[in-house]
Amino acid sequence: MGEKKAIEIDEGIVQAIEEHLSELSAGSVEEYVEAVLRERLLAEGFLSPYSPEEEKEVEQHLRDLGYLD
Amino acid sequence: MKKVAVIGLDCADPDLVEEFLPGLPTLGELIRGGSFSRLRSVDPPITVPAWMCMFTGRDPGELGVYGFRNRVDYSYAGLGVATSARFSRPTVWDELGRRGLRSILLGIPGTYPPKPVRGLLVSGFLAPSTETDYTYPASLRGKIASWVGEYMLDVRNFRTEDKGWLVEEVRRMTEQRFALARRLISEKDWDLFAMVDMGPDRIHHGLWAHHDPGHPKHDPGSPFRDAIRDYYRFLDQKIGELLSDLPEGTQVLVVSDHGAQRMEGGIGINEWLIREGYLTLKAYPEEPTRMGDLIKRGLVDWSRTVAWGEGGYYGRLFLNVKGREPQGTVPPERYEELRSELAEGLAAIPDEEGRPIGTRALRPQELYREVNGIPPDLIVYFGDLRWRSIGTVGWDRIHFHENDTGPDDANHAPHGIFIAYPKLDERRERSILEVHDLILSLMGDKYG
Repeated sequence: MGEKKAIEIDEGIVQAIEEHLSELSAGSVEEYVEAVLRERLLAEGFLSPYSPEEEKEVEQHLRDLGYLD
Repeated sequence: MKKVAVIGLDCADPDLVEEFLPGLPTLGELIRGGSFSRLRSVDPPITVPAWMCMFTGRDPGELGVYGFRNRVDYSYAGLGVATSARFSRPTVWDELGRRGLRSILLGIPGTYPPKPVRGLLVSGFLAPSTETDYTYPASLRGKIASWVGEYMLDVRNFRTEDKGWLVEEVRRMTEQRFALARRLISEKDWDLFAMVDMGPDRIHHGLWAHHDPGHPKHDPGSPFRDAIRDYYRFLDQKIGELLSDLPEGTQVLVVSDHGAQRMEGGIGINEWLIREGYLTLKAYPEEPTRMGDLIKRGLVDWSRTVAWGEGGYYGRLFLNVKGREPQGTVPPERYEELRSELAEGLAAIPDEEGRPIGTRALRPQELYREVNGIPPDLIVYFGDLRWRSIGTVGWDRIHFHENDTGPDDANHAPHGIFIAYPKLDERRERSILEVHDLILSLMGDKYG
């Protein structure tokens, strides 16, 4: 989780999200937009799921668990 | 429309369930009034990708995910952890969401980072910590903290000789996971509820030798002799409490992704490759060193290497193919011949006494409906998974009866459990790949 930065997006999109927050299971427009963008960027490989430190920690945990060696 | 609750118990074993059944009133009632089958896992029978295979109905080849870490390219060091981004096929909750149905998903391996769902999602144990956004929606994280305190993604420092501590930690994780499950199903709308508790897996790996008289390290006087049985009883109680909160008429499925069996030892896959002349190092390490470190330090002589391996509960072998790997040596026209030679050689490795151990070396193209991503060239089950694959080098031997990563008593077995209540049918065996369609069918979709 990093610092937040304001951006501007189309009002119609914001309204649609606001009207369907319950179906989208999100608490706010920001929460939904951030989740959708994160998913997309991860799928494209433009965003890493882990920081380098986190990836090392996860790999070490997997090693400790016996899944890797 | 029927609600479906899937209670996933990682590594819960059908033989153990049957053995302990007299002391498991909840599971006993489900089995007597419902269906009980052995659930054939995928190959390899390993947590990632097995749970996602269950929930997508796709095999590892179709998903292009063959284990916790997969090759991301044909470089020698290019391995990446299989996160949710690697799973692009729709899950059962994706399909239900498109029909307007809501899911609660708790602890399913392969779901970190969390993708948006119609409902809510708490990631599995590949989330690095609860400081990350490990839930969807992200704001759920704060609610979890207020409900259960510091949420346990997993048991940390699992490799320990302090078995008393380990038993308590596993129970603490299970207690908390079921408490959170009860809170979520009681407070949130849902049509599908699916959770995975990692407790059975952790307790098997940590304490199998104490339970199994056939294990080489079994001590009949161990104070932890009944720890696994007692854990199953504890789990049974937690399942019973959860069931009491489910709405009447909910279809319950209690499933596992694979089973467990004793681990008899380990085979040094890279030590064997070195001994047989398939893998050449520039300098043999003076102390046990991971293959990945040897690669990163430039200590592999790729110009004289045919294949290298990765360790874990199963072995993965990669050929060094000309035109594919950066310094490949195996001509493509000799690929199949060398792969067969290696498969036969690996299968023939005996134990220290020269007795066969029943190793199998499997070709991905023969296992899967499709082969996507970059699979290993061979998937190796040493001793049919009674021996693990030791990837480190520097031991100057190939047989092991201790683990290179710390105490571990069990390996995975290909069959998990499948319990359905109310009863579905009398089948005694089914495939993990059927569960996805079954859930959709139970929730009103056409079967298959």
